[in-house]
Amino acid sequence: MTTEPMPAGGDPHRLLSDVRGLAHRVRVDQRLTWVALLVLAAVTLVGIPFDWFGMKLHCHPDGCEFARRGVLYYWPPALLLAYAAIAVSYVRAARARGVGARVLPYAITGAVLTLLFTAAWVAAALYFPSHPVRFASWMLVLDRLIAPWGIIGVPLLVLAWLERNVALLVFTLAYLVLVLLVLPMNVGFGPPQWGIRLGFALPQLVVGVVLLLGALGFRAAHRRRR
Amino acid sequence: MTAVTGTPDPDAAHPVTGLDEVVHQRVRLGILAIAHEARRVEFGYLRSHLELTAGNLSKHLSVLEEAGLIEVEKGYEGRRGRTWITLTAAGAVALAEEIKRLKLLITQVETTDIPVER
Repeated sequence: MTTEPMPAGGDPHRLLSDVRGLAHRVRVDQRLTWVALLVLAAVTLVGIPFDWFGMKLHCHPDGCEFARRGVLYYWPPALLLAYAAIAVSYVRAARARGVGARVLPYAITGAVLTLLFTAAWVAAALYFPSHPVRFASWMLVLDRLIAPWGIIGVPLLVLAWLERNVALLVFTLAYLVLVLLVLPMNVGFGPPQWGIRLGFALPQLVVGVVLLLGALGFRAAHRRRR
Repeated sequence: MTAVTGTPDPDAAHPVTGLDEVVHQRVRLGILAIAHEARRVEFGYLRSHLELTAGNLSKHLSVLEEAGLIEVEKGYEGRRGRTWITLTAAGAVALAEEIKRLKLLITQVETTDIPVER
């Protein structure tokens, strides 16, 4: 602490560097990345039984038909509640630290994309049973993007930009690669004897664990910094 | 707008002629920068991050408030009194102008190779 007034003006390089340094410290103090990831991990893991028990499954000699009604009924309200909870947590934490929050664009993007995913899934549920289509591989990637596990990644990119958080950007890009290109979120996986329900549950479990590990990692980094 | 350099500059277009004395002061520039990033900042946060005494910070806040660059709002959270500072639209413009002029000044100094007194 100093009681002496600081010198007026000064080296423009130093002034600019001070401004950038202070702005960066504020952005860091506004972060609550681990809470966002923890909430999304919880929503993902809690969603697994909804998908399991809410799935309509009809098997006949030619194969099985399934409709993931549990996903459609659980995820839209769960995601809207999750974004509201994340926004409230950010505002409260920032207020306690003495600064304003910058989370609203993230929550709004998340809510809008949730509505988009819901509309796409409702349209698909109404259209595809009477119009069976064989999808091209790029359409499967698009399908994974508008599925809940893909669509939660897009607002995380917005959050990374808002927070100027390079670590979150890297995590989110890796997460999106995992969900869109690696994990068969929309076709399930595992040997046939495991069954369709388990085939869909396993990738969701992997996603939930990845988000949980991300939350723990960001939490550890947050504690170390403070 | 007031020039803050010690020697008058014959070149009217030189960026230092546009520097605002209220904003071109390290602490006040810091207050504006923090308030801009934070949207709303508490007195205690400013005091600890700028490493100032409460009295010194209050003086700078008064200067900025009188110039219409910030708004000061006093209230309570529970029994604890808290003072929140918000940047006004004029404050945001003044900060952007100051940063623009500082960048211009750096560019001019680097390109014209004028010796700078530090």
